[in-house]
Amino acid sequence: MASSGPAPSMKKRESSGSREGNQLIITPLGAGNEVGRSCVFMSYKNKTVLFDCGIHLAYSGMAALPYFDEIEPSTIDVLLVTHFHLDHAASLPYFLEKTTFKGRVFMTHATKAIYRLILSDYVKVSKGSVEDMLYNEQDIIQSMDKIEVIDFHQTLEVNGIRFWCYTAGHVLGAAMFMVDIAGVRVLYTGDYSREEDRHLRAAELPQFSPDVCVIESTYGVQLHQPRVVREKRFTDVIHNTVAQGGRVLIPAFALGRAQELLLILDEYWSAHPELHNIPIYYASPLAKRCMAVYQTYINAMNERVRAQFEVSNPFDFKHISSLKSIENLDDVGPSVVMASPGGLQSGLSRQLFDMWCQDKKNACVIPGYVVEGTLAKTIITEPKDVTLSNGLTVPLNMQVHYISFSAHADYGQTFEFLKDLMPPNIILVHGEANEMGRLKQKLLAQLPDKNTKILTPKNCQTVEMHFNSEKMAKAIGQLAEKIPKEGEHVNGLLVKKGFTYQIIAPEDLHIFTQLSTGNIAQRISVPYEGAFSVIRHRLKQIYESVEPLDDPTESPPALLVHDRVTVKQENTKCVSIQWSTDPISDMVSDSVVTVILNINRGIARVGVMGEGVTEEEMERTAEKVVLALLNSLFDDVKRVAGEEGKMVVSIDGVVATVDSKSGVVECENEGLKERLRTALRRIKSAVKPIPLQKISPFCYLERKL
Amino acid sequence: MGTSVQLTPLSGVHSENPLSYLLSLDGFNFLVDCGWNDFFDPELLQPLSRVSSTIDAVLLSHPDTVHLGALPYAMKQFGLSAPVYSTEPVHKLGLLTMYDHYLSRRQVSDFDLFSLDDIDAAFQNVTRLTYSQDYHLSGKGEGIVITPHVAGHLLGGTIWKITKDGEDVIYAVDFNHRKERHLNGTVLESFVRPAVLITDAYNALNNQPSTRQRDQEFLDAILRTLRGDGKVLLPVDTAGRVLELILILEQYWTQHHLSYPIAFLTNVATSTIEYAKSSLEWMIDSIGKSFEHTRDNVFVLKNFNIIINKKELEKLPEGPKVVLASMASLEEGFSHDIFVEWAVDSKNLVVFTERAQFGTLARMLQVDPPPKVVKVTMHKRVPLVGEELKAYEEEQNRIKKEEALKASLSKEDDLKASCIVPDKSLSDPMVIDSAGGLISSEVASPRIVGYRDVLIDGFVPPSTSVSPMFPFYENSREWDDFGEVINPDDYAIKEEDMLDPTSVAVLGGGLEDKFDEDSNDMLLDSKPSKVVSNELTVQVKCSLIYKDFEGRSDSRSIKTILAHVAPLKLVLVHGSAEATEHLKQHCLKNVCSHVYAPQIGETIDVTSDLCAYKVRLSERLMSNVLFKKLGDYEIAWIDGEVNETDGMLTLVPLSTGPPLHKSVLVGDLKLADFKQFLASKGVPAEFSKGFLRCGENITLRKVGDSKGATQQVGIEGPLTEEYYKIRELLYSQFYLL
Repeated sequence: MASSGPAPSMKKRESSGSREGNQLIITPLGAGNEVGRSCVFMSYKNKTVLFDCGIHLAYSGMAALPYFDEIEPSTIDVLLVTHFHLDHAASLPYFLEKTTFKGRVFMTHATKAIYRLILSDYVKVSKGSVEDMLYNEQDIIQSMDKIEVIDFHQTLEVNGIRFWCYTAGHVLGAAMFMVDIAGVRVLYTGDYSREEDRHLRAAELPQFSPDVCVIESTYGVQLHQPRVVREKRFTDVIHNTVAQGGRVLIPAFALGRAQELLLILDEYWSAHPELHNIPIYYASPLAKRCMAVYQTYINAMNERVRAQFEVSNPFDFKHISSLKSIENLDDVGPSVVMASPGGLQSGLSRQLFDMWCQDKKNACVIPGYVVEGTLAKTIITEPKDVTLSNGLTVPLNMQVHYISFSAHADYGQTFEFLKDLMPPNIILVHGEANEMGRLKQKLLAQLPDKNTKILTPKNCQTVEMHFNSEKMAKAIGQLAEKIPKEGEHVNGLLVKKGFTYQIIAPEDLHIFTQLSTGNIAQRISVPYEGAFSVIRHRLKQIYESVEPLDDPTESPPALLVHDRVTVKQENTKCVSIQWSTDPISDMVSDSVVTVILNINRGIARVGVMGEGVTEEEMERTAEKVVLALLNSLFDDVKRVAGEEGKMVVSIDGVVATVDSKSGVVECENEGLKERLRTALRRIKSAVKPIPLQKISPFCYLERKL
Repeated sequence: MGTSVQLTPLSGVHSENPLSYLLSLDGFNFLVDCGWNDFFDPELLQPLSRVSSTIDAVLLSHPDTVHLGALPYAMKQFGLSAPVYSTEPVHKLGLLTMYDHYLSRRQVSDFDLFSLDDIDAAFQNVTRLTYSQDYHLSGKGEGIVITPHVAGHLLGGTIWKITKDGEDVIYAVDFNHRKERHLNGTVLESFVRPAVLITDAYNALNNQPSTRQRDQEFLDAILRTLRGDGKVLLPVDTAGRVLELILILEQYWTQHHLSYPIAFLTNVATSTIEYAKSSLEWMIDSIGKSFEHTRDNVFVLKNFNIIINKKELEKLPEGPKVVLASMASLEEGFSHDIFVEWAVDSKNLVVFTERAQFGTLARMLQVDPPPKVVKVTMHKRVPLVGEELKAYEEEQNRIKKEEALKASLSKEDDLKASCIVPDKSLSDPMVIDSAGGLISSEVASPRIVGYRDVLIDGFVPPSTSVSPMFPFYENSREWDDFGEVINPDDYAIKEEDMLDPTSVAVLGGGLEDKFDEDSNDMLLDSKPSKVVSNELTVQVKCSLIYKDFEGRSDSRSIKTILAHVAPLKLVLVHGSAEATEHLKQHCLKNVCSHVYAPQIGETIDVTSDLCAYKVRLSERLMSNVLFKKLGDYEIAWIDGEVNETDGMLTLVPLSTGPPLHKSVLVGDLKLADFKQFLASKGVPAEFSKGFLRCGENITLRKVGDSKGATQQVGIEGPLTEEYYKIRELLYSQFYLL
C-alpha cells in the first residue's frame, strides 16, 4: 500500500549479524577504476538490478564488453540504462539478445529514441573493421521491443523493486536512477552535470538521501572553468583562427555535447555578421536524423530552450550546414568543421586531421573528455610528431586546444552534490584509477560527515554492505480497534505485498486486499437403515460431546458431534452429515462416516448390543478393557474386589495401586509409578470418548500443513 | 487514528455545472479542479470565493474550461494563491484553452473578467508533475503524497491519488478505460480498496455503441456531405478531444487519398499542434514506439491546414471542406461565425462530438428534433470611421488636454502626470466623468446585449438545469395566420461602443505572433474600434448529427470499474441529478454501503472508520513464518506477543505454545473457472439452475452474493469416492491458514 516504506535511518548502519539476504552487494562489471563500459550490478534481498550496459570504446569485440560472465543474466530483475552514450548503452542489444537475460529494461523516452539511431550507426561504422561483431541491426530492432520507457520522476515497481529517475543533465534524456528495495535506497548517477547549459537542465538533487550512492568520478579532483569563460575561449580560438585564414577542426561525438556546441556557434555567428561568409560544417548524418528527437522531447530540456521553441526551433541552425562526406567539402579557405568521432580514432574527423595537421594556421579544438588510448588524448600533450592513418609520421604544427565542454561533474559539483545528499556510503565508478584515488582522499578529508565510507572497487570486485532491515507491519481493521499493551497477544493474517506488511483479521481480508476468505459447507449423505439412536450411542463412545440438536419429537432427529458436525436422519434410508470445512471437522466427519459404515456392516450385532446399555455397564466394560490392557503391559494386574476401578500391579515384589477411574497411581518406586501413570493416561485416551477441549495436537498438525 | 477527510463541493454536483471541490485531509485543504462554464458566469464561483483564502493547494485534472477555467479569475479576484499542481500537458493545454477563450471573446465583446496577463500569472506557478510521480508535500501538508495517474480522457488528464498514512483518497473524474488513437486507457482499475473514491456520474446514464461503428458512421456522414458538395463544421474544444478527431480524420484522409481541404481553426491552433508534437511521451505507447522506430511523429499532419484566423480559411478553395473550429459550445469563436454562415445551406453538415454545456447554442441544437430556427447575435469589432472617429478623436484630445491642464495645475503632484496615458484615463472614473460627451453616453448605453442573447424556437430547458447566465424567456409565442408573431424590436440592430482598445493587456511572450493578425490589429493597436452587434435569425437547414467522441467511459464500464475498485467510501459528483441518483442507487446495491452525493456547500465527512497501528516484526518471529504465495500477495498466520520499547511496538513469538485459532480458507472461487479446472482433471461438470453439477451426483453452489465478507461454497452429494475426489480438487483452489 502506498509509497511510504519503512524510512531508512540515514546514518551509521551498523553491520548486523548477517542474515541471508540482508546483504547489499554491489559489483562493477565495467567502469570500475576505468572509464568506459559502464555496468554495475547490485543485489539485495534476492532482488537484482543492473545499471547501464556499455562497451569500452578502446577495445573491440567481446573484449569491449563488461564482465557479464561474473553474473547470471537470467537472475536479473531490472536493467536500467541512464543515457544513450555507447559506453553506457552499447552492449544492451548483446545482453538482451545473446544472453539468458529475461528481466525488464527501462530507459527514458529520449534515450530510447536516440539509442536506436546511435547503435545502428555504431554497427555501420564498425562493420569491416571488427570481425566479431557483437550484434547486428536486426538485434537492435528486436531489442527495441523489449525496452520499456520511464519518464522522469515516474515511480515504477517491478517485483518489489521500486525505482524512479531524476534529470542528470549530461545529455538529452540522461537520468540518475534511484532504486528502493525494502526501504534501502541506492542512487546511481550515471554521468551527470550540475551545471545548466544552453539546452539541458542541471542534475537534480534527489529529495531523499540514498543509503548508497554510486557516483561517477570522471574528472576526479579537477575543476572546470566557469561556463562563460569556456565559451569565450572556445569562440575566441575559432574566431582568431578563421580570421587568420585557418581551418578549425572540432572532433566531437555526434550526439550530446555536439548539439550544445552547435548552439553556441550558431548564436556566435548570428552575433558576428563579419563571420557570415565563413562556413560551419557539421559532418554527421546521424545527428541530422536525431534532430527529430531533439525537437520532440523538449520536455526533457530546460526552460530556456522551451521558451525558444515557442518562437522557432533553436535546433534549426541558420549558419551551420551539414556535410555528408569529405568529398563534399570545398576546402578552399577558412572554415569550421565539426566531425565525429571525438577521439580521432578513424572516420571523418581523422581524415580531416590528417589533411590539416601540418599547417600551423589551423587549429583543433578538443571539446570534451577524451578516452585513454585515443589519438585525441595523445595530441593534447602536444607532441612534436604524429602518425597519420597511412602510417607516415609528420610534424604536428596545428594548434591544439583543449576546452572541456563535457557535461560531467567536476570536483566542485561532486563535492557539493555529496555534501547535500549525505549518503553514508559512496561508491566511485567511471574514472581512471589515479583520479579516483585522489577524489576519494579529498572527499574523505572534506566531507562533513566523517563516517562516510568511500569505496573504489575494481571491475568484478564485490562490495558488501549490511543493512538491518526492519520489518514494519501495519495492523488495520478490526484487529486494530485497540492498540495492544505490553504482553498482549496479537494474531491474525500477515499479508505481505512487495515489501509492505499488514496484519489483518480474517474477516477484514476482503476489505484491504483483493483476496477473500471462503467457507466450504459440506453435506454428504450416507445410506443407513438402522436406528438413529445406535449412531448416537456409537458416537458417544468416541466423542464426549454429542448433543441432540432439535426437539427429537418433531423434526428428524439430529446430533451435533464435537460442536462441529451435524448428523441428521433424512429418511429411513439415509443419514446426512453436514459440516463446514476445516481440518478438525473434516477429521471428525470422516470418523462419523466410518462409524456409520461400521454400523451398517454389523447391523444385527450392534443393534442388539446397542439397545439398553446402561451407563454402569459401559463403565464396567471400560474397566475390563483397562484391566486387559494393563495386564498385557505389566503381566500381573489384579482387580481389588469391592472397590470400583481399583487395581493392584505387582512387579518383582514392588506393588502399586492404580485407580483406573481417577487416574491416581500410588507406588514407592518412582520409575514404575511414572510408567504406570503414562500407560494409564494413554489407555484412557484410547478407551474414553474424545473430550471437546483436547484438540491442541490437531492444531499443531494444522500449522504444519 | 485514521486520517480525517472532508469534502465540500463548491460547484458541479447534481448538475453538469463546472467541477470544483474542496477536499480537506487532516486540515490541509485541497481545491480539486477549478472549473467554469463557457459563459464565465461569476455567480457560479460564489462558493469558491468564500473559501479561497483557506486553500493550501490546487490540483487540476483536465485541461478544459470545466476543470480549470476559473483559475485565472480566482487568482485575481479571490486572492487564491496556493500552489497549483498539474501534469505538464494539463498546464500547457489549459493555458492554450484559456488563451483561446479570451481571444474569441475579446474579438467580439468587451470581455474583462480576466486578461491574458491574469492567465499567464495563474499558470506561471503551476508545479508540473509526470504520471506516477510521488510528490511529497512539505510544510503544512507534511506526510501527504500526491500522485497523478492516467485518466485517459484528455492529453495529460489526471486521476489524483492523495495518500496520507497509507490511506488513499482518489479523485477520478472523466476517465476513459478504452485505449484511443492518442491516449492510453485509465489506470483507475489498478487501485483497489482506496479509503475514499471521488468520481463523477456524468456518463452514468449513457451507453456507447462500439467504437468501430461510431467511427464508421462519423466518417461516412462527413464523406457523404463532402461528395454532395457540402461543407462540414465540427465545433471542437481548443486542445482536448480535438486531438483525437484530428488523428481520425488525418488517418482517414491519408488512407483514402482524399483531397477535400480540411482545416483546424482556433486562435492557438499552431501552438496546440506544435505542443502535441512534442508530447508523445504522454500519449499511447504505440505512438511513442512508432516514433522511436521511424521518427514519424503522428502529429506531423499532412492533410490538415492549421490556421488561426478566418482570412486563411477564406483562402482555402471554395466548395466542400471540413473545418474543425473552436468553441464547441457555438456560443463564440470561429465555430459560432462559421455556423451562422453555413447553417442556412441544406447541403452542409454540423457534427457535434461532445455533449455541450447547458444553455449553449450547441446544446440546443443537440435536442431531438433540432430546432428549425435559431436566433443568434453576431458581434463584430469594427474600426471607427467618419463621424464617429472624429468624435472619438476629439474626445481623446479633450481628455488629453484636460489631463494636461490638470497636470499643470497640480504640478506638485507628480504622480498625476502619468495619467496622460489614454488607457489610464479611461480607467479613472473621475476622468470619465469630466469627459462626458460621446464616450460616457455610449458607455451608459446597454452594452450587454452580448453573447448571451441567444434564443431558439421550441427550446424548453429542463427544470433541473441551473443556468443563470442564459436568459430564459417564457415561451409564450403567439401564432397568427402569417406564422409566429414577432416583435420587430428583436431584430433591430443594436450598436454599442467599446472601451479604448489600448486597455488590453500586453500579451504573453511568444504567442503574440500567432494570434489572428486582424484581431491583433484590433486588440493591440490603439486604433479606435467598437463592437457592433446584430441579432440574426438563422434558419437551420443544414444537417446536424451527434457522435460521441467525448472519450469518457460509458455507464456499463463505469459500473464495472467501480465494482472492481470497490472503495470503502464513494462520493459522487458532477452529473445530472438523475444520473447521480441512478449511480448512487446502483453503487449502494453493488459496490459499497457508503455512497455520498453531497450538495453544494454541504461538507461531508468521509473519514474512514478504520483503525490502524504500526508494529515492528521481530526477526525471531519472522524466521518462523512460512508465507504462502497468492498472486501478488504472500500470506501467513501469525501469533505474536507485543513488546513495548520506547513507545515502539514489537511483535515477538509467544512464550507459550501457539493457541488454537479458527482456520481460514483464503481464495476466490469462480464456479466457471472451477468447471474448466474440473474438465481439465477429467471430471465432467455442467451448470444447472445456478448449481454446478460435477460428475454423477455431486453438486456445487455458491451461497450469498460475492459482496459478502466470506464466500460461501456448498458441496453436496452421496458418499462416494467421487465426492472425496471433487472435494480434493475444490480444496486445491483454496489456501488453508
